[in-house]
Amino acid sequence: MEKITPASAVSVQNLVKQYGNLSAVDHMSFDVSAGTCFGSLGPNGAGKTTLIRILSGLIKPSSGQAWVKGIDISKYPEIVRRHIGVVSQAMTTDLDLTGRENLDIYARYFNTEKKMRTRRIVELLERIGLTDRADDLVATYSGGMRRRLEIARGLIHRPSILFLDEPTIGLDPQSRRVVWELLQEFRQDEELTIFLTTHYMDEADILCEQIAIIDHGKVVVLDTPEGLKKNIPGENIIDVTIEHKKEILSTENQTELPHIDMLTSKLSGFTFVQDVSQKKLETRSSLIALQIYVTNGVASIPVLMNQFQTWGYQVHTIGLKQASLEDVFIHYTGKSIRKEEGQKVNFFIGAGVPRKMG
Amino acid sequence: MGNFFSFTHILAFVERDLRKFMRNPLSILSNVLLPIVYLLVIGNSFQGTLKKLPLGVVNQDQGPFSKKVLNRLNALESGPNTIHLSLYSDAKDAENAVREGGLKGAVMIPPHFSKDVSRGTMPEIGLILDNTDAVSAAALEQAIGEAFSYLHVDTISIRPDREQPQLRLLELYRKLDYDASIVPGAVVMAIFMGTMTTGAFNLVMDRFLGVHESYLSTPLTKGELVLGILISGVLVTTLVALVVLGAGVLLTGLQVAGGLSSFLAALLIIILTATGLLSMMCIFLARVDHPRIVGLFGGFLNIIFFFPSGAVYPVESFPDWLHAFSRINPESYAVHALKTILFKGMSWPALKEDLLFLSGFMILMMLISTRIYKRTL
Ligand SMILES: Nc1ncnc2c1ncn2[C@@H]1O[C@H](COP(=O)(O)OP(=O)(O)OP(=O)(O)O)[C@@H](O)[C@H]1O
Ligand SMILES: [Mg+2]
Repeated sequence: MEKITPASAVSVQNLVKQYGNLSAVDHMSFDVSAGTCFGSLGPNGAGKTTLIRILSGLIKPSSGQAWVKGIDISKYPEIVRRHIGVVSQAMTTDLDLTGRENLDIYARYFNTEKKMRTRRIVELLERIGLTDRADDLVATYSGGMRRRLEIARGLIHRPSILFLDEPTIGLDPQSRRVVWELLQEFRQDEELTIFLTTHYMDEADILCEQIAIIDHGKVVVLDTPEGLKKNIPGENIIDVTIEHKKEILSTENQTELPHIDMLTSKLSGFTFVQDVSQKKLETRSSLIALQIYVTNGVASIPVLMNQFQTWGYQVHTIGLKQASLEDVFIHYTGKSIRKEEGQKVNFFIGAGVPRKMG
Repeated sequence: MGNFFSFTHILAFVERDLRKFMRNPLSILSNVLLPIVYLLVIGNSFQGTLKKLPLGVVNQDQGPFSKKVLNRLNALESGPNTIHLSLYSDAKDAENAVREGGLKGAVMIPPHFSKDVSRGTMPEIGLILDNTDAVSAAALEQAIGEAFSYLHVDTISIRPDREQPQLRLLELYRKLDYDASIVPGAVVMAIFMGTMTTGAFNLVMDRFLGVHESYLSTPLTKGELVLGILISGVLVTTLVALVVLGAGVLLTGLQVAGGLSSFLAALLIIILTATGLLSMMCIFLARVDHPRIVGLFGGFLNIIFFFPSGAVYPVESFPDWLHAFSRINPESYAVHALKTILFKGMSWPALKEDLLFLSGFMILMMLISTRIYKRTL
């Protein structure tokens, strides 16, 4: 009963993690094939970290099952831990140790024999470009250097599965690219299965063969990046922000919000409109931001501009673009993931050292 | 379950901890300094016998016996230095000086004192005491009483009374200064400081920083983690305790009884006590994830364990409830054992009870701490 198909590196069935009334992970089920890269993509609080922590045996699920390399994680966490590498969201290398010491001590937790260990450390340091800083205290590293060290540490014992929780969070675009390249190299050279979480579309798009979009602890959709993009209706997307003229005149009348449903149904009357979704805006402003999925972008813009005018709306911005994963995300979750980024500043705290809640 | 230990794992975990200590020598230094400062301050402020208590003297008698009393008092001043005398001519002035705190007491020799002594009609000396300072008052009363009674013996009977039983003192050990007598207490305090700032404290810091996530996702078992943290804690704590012991011996001029065997026995007691207390802290702090809680907890536990341990005051004089507590207080046994070893020399029979208790305590605490260690986030 323990063994799942050998091709599955990770397999999850009806997994639930409950914190009081909140379901951080809510009946998730999916499989990850060995040797692939699987991304779970979701906004803050979606349950990404909780999922990875369950899979690496750091917290116990409330119900459901999870197998890693065919081994039941609830029953044999100590066996699973020998085969996995974990790079957690918060940085967890010891600041009072040097980079080399961090790697060496970690390797010994996996009984890596001295000769192998030394060789592996030299090799990894070279690959992450930290050879000349290896004997400096980690406290003196930059964020990007420390993150690369964390990834090297996760790989020190040649695991067959590497879990990465938001591996490029807090890094500048250049460092992110370095990390991506590193991960791709390791994948090729070491037959690694990668399980990562991210809230960056481009990251998932570049690295992963399978992407699960998760929100509120649920897998909203699971597909290849191409499949996901294909799934969204229409080829083009028109981003538009409008405001009802009445609202502009009488700002005190805030209670009567614009009639989205009416707008949506009116728009759907056009043959070129495939779908309409509303982007949530932060403020209580009277602005409405819509994504209109259309078949013929350029031709539809003047038509829409006219229509909004006659319905009594003023168009603030309008733009046309090709569908990207970002739009897939908005399509499925109704929120823009970029907006979440701004709230991620304090990822050290946000990574959540779990504390008991009342 | 943790019934399987890998030495590689434990050593790696211990090394991680020790390296971190080496990079933060200040935290260890404070562990050494606090007990030494304590030893110096307490050792020199609570002296075994009091000294230089300011005493006023008002002599209104011109006869020979008041001279004798004065001679006695002078002898007390120049000999044991219990008092510091100043002469007053006015009784009122002396009394006021006592009230205002300039004097701890004043002796009044009344005008008819010598006459009363020679007639044998109840001679009296007045002693005004500031009894709000109970310790000084008691010491003065005793010292003056003795001076007075010598005088009494001198005058009433020339030869010692053969019927009266004489107290002959037999001192078993070398005389010990008070500050030297609290060296074992300082060592036990160093052990306590060590157990508060190593071991479980490091686990709390790891939890606070979220760093524990890194080793919890490795194959390290519960038992290996607890043993590793105990070993590094015991190493550092023992070192701290030995430094304090050495410093204590040097500073107080304590002459340690016995040689190498005493040292080894003291080392054994230090290690047993440190392991027991470190394991106990692992139990208390098993779920704590903020260093501030450790600080609060430490101050509290230090008072609870230290003062009833007999380090500063004999446990036998405690009220029953406190005495009962001191019998289950591991620090009492550690203090007793170290006092025995350092002052009286190594002797197994005298140490038997201490060794049994400390070993039992250590084993129990280690079992419980491994049991309740939480190997999840
Ligand atoms: N120990 C805990 N106690 C209570 N609630 C928790 C705990 N850990 C996580 N949660 C809740 O579970 C939900 C999922 O949290 P999780 O950390 O898995 O999100 P995430 O997808 O990793 O978010 P982020 O992108 O911000 O890292 C959140 O609502 C969070 O508040
Ligand atoms: Mg997270």
